[in-house]
Amino acid sequence: MIKSDILTHLENIVGKDFASNNQEDLFIYSQDSGASLPRPVDFVVLPKTAEEIQKILRLANEERIPIVPMGGGMTLSGLTIPVNGGIVIDLKRMDKILEINEISRYALIEAGVTTGRLTAYLEKHYPDLEVSIPDAPPSATVTGNALIHGSGFLSHKYGNHGDMINGLEMVLPNGDICKLGSCAVSDYWFTRGPIPDLIGLFISSFGTMGIATKMAIKLYPKDNLREVIVGIFKEPKMIPDVISKITNTDIAEDIVFAVSEELIKGYIFLATFITGTSEEEIGTKTKILKRIYRKAKGSYMKVPRSFRNFFLEKPIFISSEADTRRGGGFEYSGNFLPLEKLPEAIEKAIEISRKYGISPSQVSRVIGKGHNVMFAASFSFNRADPNDMENARNALHETNKLVLDLGGIIWKPELAGQKLIIEKMDPSYKQLYKAIRAALDPNRIMNPGNWEIT
Amino acid sequence: MTINVKQDWKDIVHRCFRCGYCKFTFEYSDFNCPSYKKHRFETYSTGGRMWLIYGIINGDLQWSQNLANVLYSCSTCGNCMENCRFDKFNDFLVDIIEAARAEAVKNGFCPEKQKALLERTTNTEMFNPYGEPNSDNEELKKKYNLPDKAEWVYFIGCTSNYRQKNLRDATLRFLKKINLDFTLIDEHCCTSPIIRTGQIEPVKEFMNYNIDKIKEVGATKVITSCAGCCRTLKVDFAKQGVNHDLEIYHTSELVKRFLDEGKIMFTSEFNKTVTYHDPCHIGRHMGLYEEPRDVYKQIPGIKFVEMGRNRENAWCCGAGGGVKIGYPDWAVEISKERLEEAKETGATILSSTCPFCRTNLSDANDKFNLGLEVIDLIEILDQLEIKVNE
Repeated sequence: MIKSDILTHLENIVGKDFASNNQEDLFIYSQDSGASLPRPVDFVVLPKTAEEIQKILRLANEERIPIVPMGGGMTLSGLTIPVNGGIVIDLKRMDKILEINEISRYALIEAGVTTGRLTAYLEKHYPDLEVSIPDAPPSATVTGNALIHGSGFLSHKYGNHGDMINGLEMVLPNGDICKLGSCAVSDYWFTRGPIPDLIGLFISSFGTMGIATKMAIKLYPKDNLREVIVGIFKEPKMIPDVISKITNTDIAEDIVFAVSEELIKGYIFLATFITGTSEEEIGTKTKILKRIYRKAKGSYMKVPRSFRNFFLEKPIFISSEADTRRGGGFEYSGNFLPLEKLPEAIEKAIEISRKYGISPSQVSRVIGKGHNVMFAASFSFNRADPNDMENARNALHETNKLVLDLGGIIWKPELAGQKLIIEKMDPSYKQLYKAIRAALDPNRIMNPGNWEIT
Repeated sequence: MTINVKQDWKDIVHRCFRCGYCKFTFEYSDFNCPSYKKHRFETYSTGGRMWLIYGIINGDLQWSQNLANVLYSCSTCGNCMENCRFDKFNDFLVDIIEAARAEAVKNGFCPEKQKALLERTTNTEMFNPYGEPNSDNEELKKKYNLPDKAEWVYFIGCTSNYRQKNLRDATLRFLKKINLDFTLIDEHCCTSPIIRTGQIEPVKEFMNYNIDKIKEVGATKVITSCAGCCRTLKVDFAKQGVNHDLEIYHTSELVKRFLDEGKIMFTSEFNKTVTYHDPCHIGRHMGLYEEPRDVYKQIPGIKFVEMGRNRENAWCCGAGGGVKIGYPDWAVEISKERLEEAKETGATILSSTCPFCRTNLSDANDKFNLGLEVIDLIEILDQLEIKVNE
């Protein structure tokens, strides 16, 4: 079928206003703010319903057209930029908040609901409940972030966002609609089990297994007071111990640490977030943390109001980090690391940044009481400067290799990072993944080029 | 400031990270960019436009009618400027879009409907974007017994003079009622519509003409009842390098000042529930939020209520930036959303301080049969008894 006929088909499915192959739309969807180079797109569509997505996938199967689903498009890893051309499906018109279950504490939403909108909705209508959101801009989608195994301000207490998924509605590569989790059995989207848990198949698979159209995500009770207690530490080797001591107390909502040579050279910031229902409770928790910082040879740091407000904003305005080069480009090597490997990762990643002329900048978060650390080394760059962009790509790649060498795993890796993981991956895992993918997507239409296991 | 993408913006356009803050309200409860909310392609967000403009600058994109259409599908409401978090960049977002429109014009890609604005405005029988024969305002001067020389000029503006005559006449009656020493001039278009659509070639000539006319009557102060004229006279003249020493007041500023100084006092009641729509041109573009509110709140009997989105967070009426002429159906859809928001407050009157907002909001009110009364602040004041303290 020629391109104009395909466009007509797509227009018939989603409406004339929501299918395009205009050069302007293709240009915008062929690149993201990360350091990946642009790659061509053939069509962009904005469906409103799962049924429309079914029809698009059936057309794509008939015509062997690659399909790339997109939520907020904020991964910075080029995961929504097609590798082999094809159709980008921007899901943000699917933006209904379908249900808030106050008692069983979950939100049932369509895939295009943004983190900003769900947060604002809860704030207005359910002020005692909250959803964990990433430090990404509010245009990131809740579903997209959960499906890339994102994390947020409640991840220290409750785990990664992927762990908070109660249920999914997926359009499978052949166009079938499949419900996963308790919603497969019950009207309530309240839990993942106790049936064989297939949800994990769709997490971190970057759209290769299907397209999520609905998701139920856990909500959590919210205290009315929140505070951040900042400490500074000289040696990275102190960090695992202090994190263990904080997690032992069970008082932290969130633990974030940062290295920023722009702000303060030679120190590590530690920001522990606490919540409470009274000033007295906040005061008690603050005292405990100050004592822990002191015993760990760190110092409590009284911070200016602007600094405090920066940390307490939801989402944290982490995009400010993207602007350090005033050039609209930002990439980071995000990684899951065992806590004990953190000091080495911090020091070696600083060296890598310096090697590429990038001011060292790291922001990391403790996940699940110290079971994991999301370690991120950031590389802001100027999009107008190809050398700057190349430096960011090289620093990213080298840091990714470092993390794998240390026993960590690259989070939401770009294509080169995926290759590094696949090289290290156990052959039996690869075979299993390949077999499942082939069974679900025999025509290989779903985001081909990603997780390419040969 | 030179309006030229390549000269002025090349070094900053690419600073946009496309983070998407520009699309939202302050609290992220909804999209507040009319263009993105309508089209939903990333292309139609301010971030998308910044990337397209950079694509043109670095040669990755070529001009096309569709590209121009994307640039013109923006009401230049300035929501993006309020929500973009990058200082020393966010202030320029609308300027950059207007500069890119000027490039579109230069490259022959100004959309036809917007072109008509320029053709009518530069027609020597008209000098206004509505295609009406030019009014030298002599009849109005006679009718209202206005002098040839005065301290103030009421710069009526084309929308009030040719489309919203009720608003014009209410303003004239009000200014007479408060004994302001003012007159009218044979004004030409303030140039707002042609600046907003990138058609800047004749702008300075128009600006200089209007300044000369104002000075000819000996005035040192200008009052406008139009948010667009106000912004143009206060902001765009300087940006174009046309400097003047005139004091420019929006009617709401003048009334507020006179109330504060005790020169006037409202002595009758207006017993209705009113909500206020912030015009983008005096709101986000100039920061005049409290002046009109202070005036409404001093009207005896009025119940003044706020819409959910107000001040910097207001939803645009959809008329500005050439959208009303370029995309008339969409323009009233945008207003429909505002009217529905107004109805939620329980107000029976949606009031504004801009004839162009009034036009579009009224059009939507009529088209969708929404049952609100849409009137300007000055039309409310015109209904009041006013005590003037000399």
